[in-house]
Amino acid sequence: MSAHPYAGLKIVEIADHVGGEYLGRLFAELGAEVTKLEPPAGSATRHVGPYAGGAEGPENSLTFWYYNTNKKSVLVDLASGDPHAALVPFLADADMLIVTFQPGVLRQLGLDLDRLSQDFPRLVIVSMTPYGLTGPWADYRSSDLVALAAGGPLHMCGYDDHSIPPIMPGGPQAHHTTAAFAHIAVMAALIERQTTGLGQLLDVSMHSASALNTELGNPFWLYNRVPVLRQTCRHAQPVMTQSPMYECADGSYVYYTLILADQHSWKILVAWMDELGMAAMLTEPAYGDVLHRQANMGQIQELVESFFLIQNGHDAYLEGQRRGLPIGIVNAPEELLDDEHLKARGFFVPVETDTAHGTVLYPGESCRYSAFGAVERRRAPRLGEDG
Amino acid sequence: MTTASPKAAERAAITAAAAADPTRRPRPLGGPLAGVRVVDFCWMGVGAIATRMLADFGAEVIRIEDSKRLDLPRRLPINKTAGARAYGDEDADPDPNAGGLFNNFNRNKLGITLNMRDPRGRALCERLISLSSVVTENFAPGVMERWGLVYERIRELTPEPIMARMSGYGHSGPHADFKSYGPVVQAVSGLSHVSGLPGREPSGWGLSYMDNMAAFHNAAALLTAIYHRNLTGRGTEIDVSAVEAGITLLGPVMLEVTVNGRKTRGGSFPTGNRLEHPPMAPHGVYPALGTDRWVAIAVANDAEWLSLLAELGHPEWNDDPRFASQAARHENQDALDALVGRATAGRDRHDLMHRLQQRGVAAAAVQTTEDVCDRDPQLAQAGVFFELDHPVIGPARFEGMPVRFSRLRQDNWRSAPLLGEDNRHVATQVLGLAEDEYRRLVDEGVFG
Repeated sequence: MSAHPYAGLKIVEIADHVGGEYLGRLFAELGAEVTKLEPPAGSATRHVGPYAGGAEGPENSLTFWYYNTNKKSVLVDLASGDPHAALVPFLADADMLIVTFQPGVLRQLGLDLDRLSQDFPRLVIVSMTPYGLTGPWADYRSSDLVALAAGGPLHMCGYDDHSIPPIMPGGPQAHHTTAAFAHIAVMAALIERQTTGLGQLLDVSMHSASALNTELGNPFWLYNRVPVLRQTCRHAQPVMTQSPMYECADGSYVYYTLILADQHSWKILVAWMDELGMAAMLTEPAYGDVLHRQANMGQIQELVESFFLIQNGHDAYLEGQRRGLPIGIVNAPEELLDDEHLKARGFFVPVETDTAHGTVLYPGESCRYSAFGAVERRRAPRLGEDG
Repeated sequence: MTTASPKAAERAAITAAAAADPTRRPRPLGGPLAGVRVVDFCWMGVGAIATRMLADFGAEVIRIEDSKRLDLPRRLPINKTAGARAYGDEDADPDPNAGGLFNNFNRNKLGITLNMRDPRGRALCERLISLSSVVTENFAPGVMERWGLVYERIRELTPEPIMARMSGYGHSGPHADFKSYGPVVQAVSGLSHVSGLPGREPSGWGLSYMDNMAAFHNAAALLTAIYHRNLTGRGTEIDVSAVEAGITLLGPVMLEVTVNGRKTRGGSFPTGNRLEHPPMAPHGVYPALGTDRWVAIAVANDAEWLSLLAELGHPEWNDDPRFASQAARHENQDALDALVGRATAGRDRHDLMHRLQQRGVAAAAVQTTEDVCDRDPQLAQAGVFFELDHPVIGPARFEGMPVRFSRLRQDNWRSAPLLGEDNRHVATQVLGLAEDEYRRLVDEGVFG
């Protein structure tokens, strides 16, 4: 085993939203020393719930707990006095600065990122803002909902019934998307620095990141010149398609896309249905023909609905996969803790919180490297704990 | 699947012409990854997007394709002639070089068709790996094992390699062999369940979010491994589970479950467009002028609330005790949303967005892909989309990076390879085969 890849990297984080904090965490998780500079009142995310045990307070925010593991916290008031002078002691030996202020706030504070970049030529500065540092919308306000709306993914998400507005997917996903792109950009800049010795300024835009996260949406427009229509829990497409979500006996849902033209999967499904006495006429030779199946789509869909409705979701998931079908179970977060696969891989890891809550479970590493193990996860810092 | 195509000869001629076109010929690339050669078995979106990131930064990514089993993005009816069709509604004999999705996912890469069922194909592949330092794949577990191309073997072929294995469930554990694609990963990881209106089925995602996000994850992991090898000289195997990546994206709700014991089934969860934390209100998507046209509004405090009322022309709502404070507004969102929705319904979504933003309220038109690709001035000035020509598709616009670098430059040297476009180049210039030897391997079906 060799050292963790980011061991030795010193990162200064000035982040007032979870996107910037998530980026810092991604580096802390692989061994970087991440120092979070917080204003006297603490990072804005300390004041966002949910709170541990429901007790509101800057040391109890689960939002803060989630995004700030393995970091240090130092109090620095950039709003009083010269922010450059205040940052020099931290940036002198730093490799990277994460900063989330929009251009108007930078001007107000008197913080000039280009000047920082000149003063600290080895520094990789990552600006993560709602719209980037330039352009007509640069000082517009945003949020996860607003970013997903302006970027395009939101119009693709929701229900078949279009009298219901598009529905924002759960979790701060616009921030997550931005941090994921930023991680890639930073690594490219750090690799370049290994050759040139020079850092640079990266201007990351949450709006642009959201606009690049529509998967098939943009290509359907750029090539076919057709819009896509949102559909319940499945791909937005130029035309409406069948639902792949089937309710089960225990009220859960399994997720299975019935592709009638796929002969291999069809045979597996019918054999499985037949074993449970639920195949009805689907075993008749006529249904071996894809055209016949397509002509009887509605009837087939009803039989498959009944077939899943008599089974428990998790059992159907395991049995379907055992038979080679790409079937999923719609898990609730609490069900993940009992998942036999995640348990066997030791995915959830304990973190000692040094509070009445003791040791709690966090999602662990989603990338595993043979050359180095996981960094032990340490709780998020208390406000100003490190100076 | 297309070997029997009546159009095969025509397509082969186009490929040959493209391969002879000097502007498409592979050349030394610029960028931080210049000099890194990648043998790339990735296909579909989740793999191809990850290695596209490497290609964008100057790596020489050589895609190994199977001409008998075409990559799905080559076949899908996402192209300039398909019109409005579902992606599952494939052509019987699709032109593998017309696929828009493939073009989008595979720019800046080289492409060869190598018959891995033939021992000579596998031997050539091993030779290519011995001349490379990174191997990537996202097959169902077992395919690389069948070819003997496990990490131990790769290490014999080339010193300190990086091998990235990207699968739905990771390469250990009882479900390692489970089959998945983006929406299944979203279901299993919990991302679907946490998305929707309370008391209804989940609305989940209208895209394979986890194909994109797992790909970004994979790209970052590959870059991390390259950075680490540059520092230490050590290679590594990378095992990525898309399901596990999805779980990390659930966010703080996961800690609500593990710390507070929250149950998320039944009751008032999930909350649709409403936000529990922080308790913003109004926080929603409201109708605008036109069919299926909407505007998103997020109000955090009293000042923003008063600005919203001024723009909507309803200052009197502030006198209603139900809306007297942020907490009260959050408590009474059913009534609040109904009023806001009536006030926005006749408004142009972009005009209202700009007017609200001028007043300091976070708002956005719910933009369509047409808005985003063709009309958004903010994205246009950022250069998010860029154009490259393609021998079959013609000029096409590509999805770039949401990042502007002050120094680093992406080397966007070519659109996606035609099927087998770089066979001769890789055979003769990389593997060092003589021209007649290459011809013989083509005739015997090892290439192509």
